[in-house]
Amino acid sequence: MRGTDRRARSRPRQRLHGLAWAAALLCLARPAAAQTSQPPPAPHEMPPPGQREYPSLRLAGFGDVNFSGTKRLEGPRGFNLGQLALHLTSELSPRVTFFGEISFSARADAGIGSPAATGFNTEVERLVLRFDQSDRLKVSFGRYHTPINYWNTAYHHGQWLQTTIQRPEMIQFGGRFLPVHFVGGLLEGSVPAGGLNLNYKAGVGNGRASVISRAGDAGDTNGDRAWLANVFSKPDKVFGLEFGGSLYGDSVTLADAREFRERIVAGYVVWNKEDPEVIAEIASVRHRQVGSDEATWSRAYYIQAAYRLPQFKRLLKPYYRFEHIGIADGDAMFATVLRLDSSTVGLRYDASLFAAIKGEYRTWRRGDGVPRNHGGFFQLCFTF
Amino acid sequence: MPRSIARRVVLRSAVLLIGVATLFVSAPTPAHTQGADIAVVVHPDVPIDNLTVAELRRVLLGDREFWASGMRVALFLRAPVARERDVAVKDVCQMTEAQFRQHWIAKVFRAETPSGPRIVYSGQMAIEQVTRTPGAITFVETAAVVKGVKVLKIDGRSPGQAGYRVR
Repeated sequence: MRGTDRRARSRPRQRLHGLAWAAALLCLARPAAAQTSQPPPAPHEMPPPGQREYPSLRLAGFGDVNFSGTKRLEGPRGFNLGQLALHLTSELSPRVTFFGEISFSARADAGIGSPAATGFNTEVERLVLRFDQSDRLKVSFGRYHTPINYWNTAYHHGQWLQTTIQRPEMIQFGGRFLPVHFVGGLLEGSVPAGGLNLNYKAGVGNGRASVISRAGDAGDTNGDRAWLANVFSKPDKVFGLEFGGSLYGDSVTLADAREFRERIVAGYVVWNKEDPEVIAEIASVRHRQVGSDEATWSRAYYIQAAYRLPQFKRLLKPYYRFEHIGIADGDAMFATVLRLDSSTVGLRYDASLFAAIKGEYRTWRRGDGVPRNHGGFFQLCFTF
Repeated sequence: MPRSIARRVVLRSAVLLIGVATLFVSAPTPAHTQGADIAVVVHPDVPIDNLTVAELRRVLLGDREFWASGMRVALFLRAPVARERDVAVKDVCQMTEAQFRQHWIAKVFRAETPSGPRIVYSGQMAIEQVTRTPGAITFVETAAVVKGVKVLKIDGRSPGQAGYRVR
C-alpha cells in the first residue's frame, strides 16, 4: 500500500523529469541545426579540405587472452579468452555524436543444449547519443557504465587501459555490489571554477533489474526511476590529481517482489601520473526493505598503487592492490554477496605502444569461514 | 598454510612498496632540452588572445572542447618526433608520447570526445589547416608563422619574449 502510494506520487515527478529532458533537447536542437545548415556531401564525395564529414564512423577495439591457475577452482582455469570489445564512434553533426561498445565474452554456459555448451555472449555494453552544447552542458541518452565509480568510467571494457588484470571486485562486471550499468539520460559538463575544473554528471534512468547485477535494459522493474549525481575536480595547480564523489538512489524490486530502497554514497581520489599511480575508492550502500524501518550499510573500498619504473625504457610497471567488501549483517538485498578481502601483486610490461603483458599473484578470502584461496594470473591485452 | 601464505603476501607487498618508494625518491625527472620558441596559433575567428599554460594543457588533453564563443576546438598536432609535438606533449602536458597516446585512446573510449587530435606532417600543413578550419589550434616553429593566423600569448607573453613558456 505504502509502495503503491509512493509510486502514484512519483508519477507527476517522472512526467516533470520527461518534460525537463525534452526541453533540454529542444534547446540544443537549435544551435545544432544552425551549425549543420550547410548540406553534407553525398556519401561517395570527399569533403573539402578542413571540413568534417558526417557521419564519420570509426571502429576501435580491445582484446585480451588470459591464463590462470588457482589453488581451489574459482572462475576459469588454464587459457581463456577474455573479452573482445568493439568501440564505435560516429560524429553525426558538429555537436551530435554516437558512441557504442559491444563485447563478446567467452562463457562456459553461453551455448545451447543441456548441459549448455561453451560459447560467446554478445552484449551492448554502452550505447550513447550525445548532444554537446558547450563544455558546460552535454546531454545524452542511452546505456552507460554508471558514473558513480571512477574505475567503471575510466576503463570500461578496455583491459589494456587498466594497469591490473582484474577490476576491483566492488565494480566487477556481473558483480552486485554497485550497479555497473545504467540506462537513461545524463547531463554533464565542466566549469573552470578558478582552476579547480569542476565536472558534474546528473542522470535519471532505470536502475537495477530484478537480477541486481543487471541494468533495466528492457524497462524498469518498478515505477521509480534511479537517479545519480557525480561531481569531481581536476585542479590545475596539482596536475594529475583527481577527486570526486557520487550519490545514487533507486528502488529495487527483486524477482520475489520484495522491494528495497537503495542509496549509494561513493568517493575517490586518484593520482593519475604513472610515477606513481594511486587509485583509492570507497562506496557505502544503504538498503532498507519497504515496510521496514531497519536500514543496513554495506561498504567496499580498494587502494591500488603502481609505479612506472624509469629503467628498462619505462616499459615495466609493478603494482599492488588491496580491496575489501564488507556486507552488513541483515542486508537482505546483498544476502548472496560474499564478504571479501583480497591482495594483488603484479607487474605490467608494455610490449609495444598498443599491447601489454601482465602477470599477477592474488590471494583472497571470499565469505565467512571459507579458506583463503590464491592463484597466479597472466594476461596479454591490446588495443587495435 | 593460509596464514603462511598471507604472511608471504604481506612481506612481498612490503618489499614491493619499499622498492617503489625508493625508486620514486630517486627517479630522475624527464630531461627536457629547451630550444627555439614554439608559437601557438589559432584560426583568426577564435575569440581569445591569451591562454594560461594550464588552459593550453586542457585544450591539448581534450578537457576543453569549446572556445568561449561556442565554437568547437579543432586540435592539429604534428606527428611524433617533430619538435613541436615534443614540446606540446612533454613540456605542456608533462607526459611521455606513450602516455599521451593512451590518454587520447582512453578519452575517446570513455565517450568523452568523438575523436583525437588531427595529425599534420609539416609546419606548413599545420598552418594551412588552421587557416581553413574554424576553431583550429596548432603548434608551429615561430619562423613558420604567416599572415592569416592568430598567434596566442601564453601566460601573457608572446613568442620571443623573455619568460615565454612554450619552448
